[in-house]
Amino acid sequence: MTPILELRSVRKAYGDFVAVNGVSMSVPAGSIFGLLGPNGAGKTSTIRMIMNITAPDSGEVVVFGHPRTSDDLRRIGYLPEERGLYRKMTVMDQLVFLGEIRGLRGPALIADIQRWLERVDLAKWAKSKIEELSKGMQQKVQLIGTVLHTPDLLILDEPFSGLDPINQELFRDLLLDYRSKGKSVVLSTHGMELAERLCDHICLISSGRAVLDGELKAIKRRIGGNAFRLVADGDLGRLQEMPEVEQAIVQEGVAKLMLRPEVQGADVLRQLVGFLNVHEFRSEEPELEQIFLKVVNDAT
Amino acid sequence: MQLKNVAVIAKREYLQRAKTKAFWITTLILPLFVTAISTVPALLLSNSKASQKIVVVDETGKVGSTLVAKMNSGEIEKQQAGKSRDQMVSFDAETEPPAPDRTAQRKALDRRVLDKQLDAWVWIAPGVFADKPVEYHARSVSNVFTQEALKDEISTVVRQARFRDAGIDPARVDALSRSVKLETQKVSASGSRAEGSLGAAMLAIVLFFILYISIIMWGQQVMQGVLEEKGSRVIEVVISCVTPFELMMGKLLGICMLGLTQLAIWLTTVLVVTTPGLVAAVMVLPAGVSLPTLSPVMLINFVLLFILGFLAYATLYAGIGASFNNLQEAQQAAGLAMMFVIIPVMVMYPVINDPNSRMATVLSLIPMFTPLLMPLRIAIDMPPIWQLALAYALTISFVIGMVWICARIYRVGILMYGKKPTFAEIWKWTRYA
Repeated sequence: MTPILELRSVRKAYGDFVAVNGVSMSVPAGSIFGLLGPNGAGKTSTIRMIMNITAPDSGEVVVFGHPRTSDDLRRIGYLPEERGLYRKMTVMDQLVFLGEIRGLRGPALIADIQRWLERVDLAKWAKSKIEELSKGMQQKVQLIGTVLHTPDLLILDEPFSGLDPINQELFRDLLLDYRSKGKSVVLSTHGMELAERLCDHICLISSGRAVLDGELKAIKRRIGGNAFRLVADGDLGRLQEMPEVEQAIVQEGVAKLMLRPEVQGADVLRQLVGFLNVHEFRSEEPELEQIFLKVVNDAT
Repeated sequence: MQLKNVAVIAKREYLQRAKTKAFWITTLILPLFVTAISTVPALLLSNSKASQKIVVVDETGKVGSTLVAKMNSGEIEKQQAGKSRDQMVSFDAETEPPAPDRTAQRKALDRRVLDKQLDAWVWIAPGVFADKPVEYHARSVSNVFTQEALKDEISTVVRQARFRDAGIDPARVDALSRSVKLETQKVSASGSRAEGSLGAAMLAIVLFFILYISIIMWGQQVMQGVLEEKGSRVIEVVISCVTPFELMMGKLLGICMLGLTQLAIWLTTVLVVTTPGLVAAVMVLPAGVSLPTLSPVMLINFVLLFILGFLAYATLYAGIGASFNNLQEAQQAAGLAMMFVIIPVMVMYPVINDPNSRMATVLSLIPMFTPLLMPLRIAIDMPPIWQLALAYALTISFVIGMVWICARIYRVGILMYGKKPTFAEIWKWTRYA
């Protein structure tokens, strides 16, 4: 199946600073694709090139199976990281405008907007000015503006930042719903936990480079074969010093361990009981965070 | 460029601004203000035009009765027919012979003034034929027009008495010392016609300032609009759907249409106010001035030059808005743009005085000045067709060039955040592919 979006060795530099250094990635149709990485990794720069806001210095952006044209942009819904709406416009006027610049018109557009506003619980704010709304409400308005023209591809830059848990859940449901209609979603985030719950494909970016790219399950199988969960009392800090342990993330008596590939779990446990009061030690699927840290460490 | 996109942007710019109270306040306040200052004083004064009750005491016995007869005859009003209504004065005068006790008589007259039986009394002492002044006693001594009229009247009567004493017939003096009148004739291609030159100048000044205010105000609106889009980052969403050029053109078009709407309201006011009958009835006009009406040729040129002037300045402001991050940063560059509008203001009076001087001709052909100076010249004296054609050709080329350069600055600038760019950097943006 042709990917809905593909980047081929895309590079962008601002003066001496290379923001995106030859990133390649491939977004399968009908997936939720996570563009992951810490702040400043180059996620937004990458997205801006996808959206033709800035041009890549080299490399190619392929959408819907062909090099991107300006008409393709109408089939994409884009939520920028820096949110912004016309402050003095009413919610309805604002959404009508956002629909119109994507070629939507007339009563069908109004009806669509009303349906969406009801769905996100903003119907009674339709005639209010944007500046009268809370940040979270504004974000919902902007999300409606992004999906109004039912784009085949949604590109959301940090969509969950600034949302309360209830609205995060609402956004998540909307995205899953969107995928179930056969559409594709690319979202950037630095929150690994959210990405883990939502994405089926990921691309990890660190310092402008794609360090990992593929299906999340396959990645976990490939990289995280030797992950263990340990619940114990005692000096968990010593875990870091063990040569068999590649990575240990310790949090309130629970340690997530990543062992070296050749190491057996049973051997490690034997050592652990020597200095810890172990309650639990079992093999488990590694979390995205662990994988991310491992990959970034390996890369540097 | 897709016109559909330009239309959507223009529609938003127009409707959102037309919905604001600020637009309607500025649009309606100016005509109201102009109408008010031109009619209210006249209306107020016309009601207070009661006759002045005056007693004249003449010690010489030579001028009192003639003076009172003249004052009551309404002759003064006739002499003042050229003056506007608020300057007209009429009297209801009577003489009183000097009493033996002058001091008691003066006191009695003062009391009548205080009791409001009289407005004033005048005492003409014998020394008046030498250089002794005539006394004027009144509750209010600030009514300069009344005093001026009275002084003229007394002077005439005293002068005539002096002539008679010297054995000269005053009627003969009047006949021989008539002054010459100057009748202004405006010479134009359509034939000479009598017209108040001051009226033409007034109309020209009104038109000039309407254009001046519109161009500055709407140019600034464009700049603020661009800065707002940049500041709120709406720009990123919009730019993912329409090209920067479409966005800029839509913005210019929408705001230009709104400017024209406002202009239509203002020009209608000017048309109504300059309708001859109406003006004569209410407006305060200096002697001998008649307002010329706004001719269709003037109107067409005026609207075309507004559009060109708007585009020339608004594109510049759009480029400035796109280059900077906020109003404070942009203000400095906007100040430079203002210099172009200030020069026409500085040369406005010389141009009105001699609309065909070399300076007026040359300056009115410079594109940034044409939209302001050409209407001024047209209102006063239609310039030769070749000059008008040249001015249009130059301004249109200039506007096209401005749109081209500013569109390039705009395209790069609207997505540049952060550091305030230098002029050298902004210039570099125009040469990006």
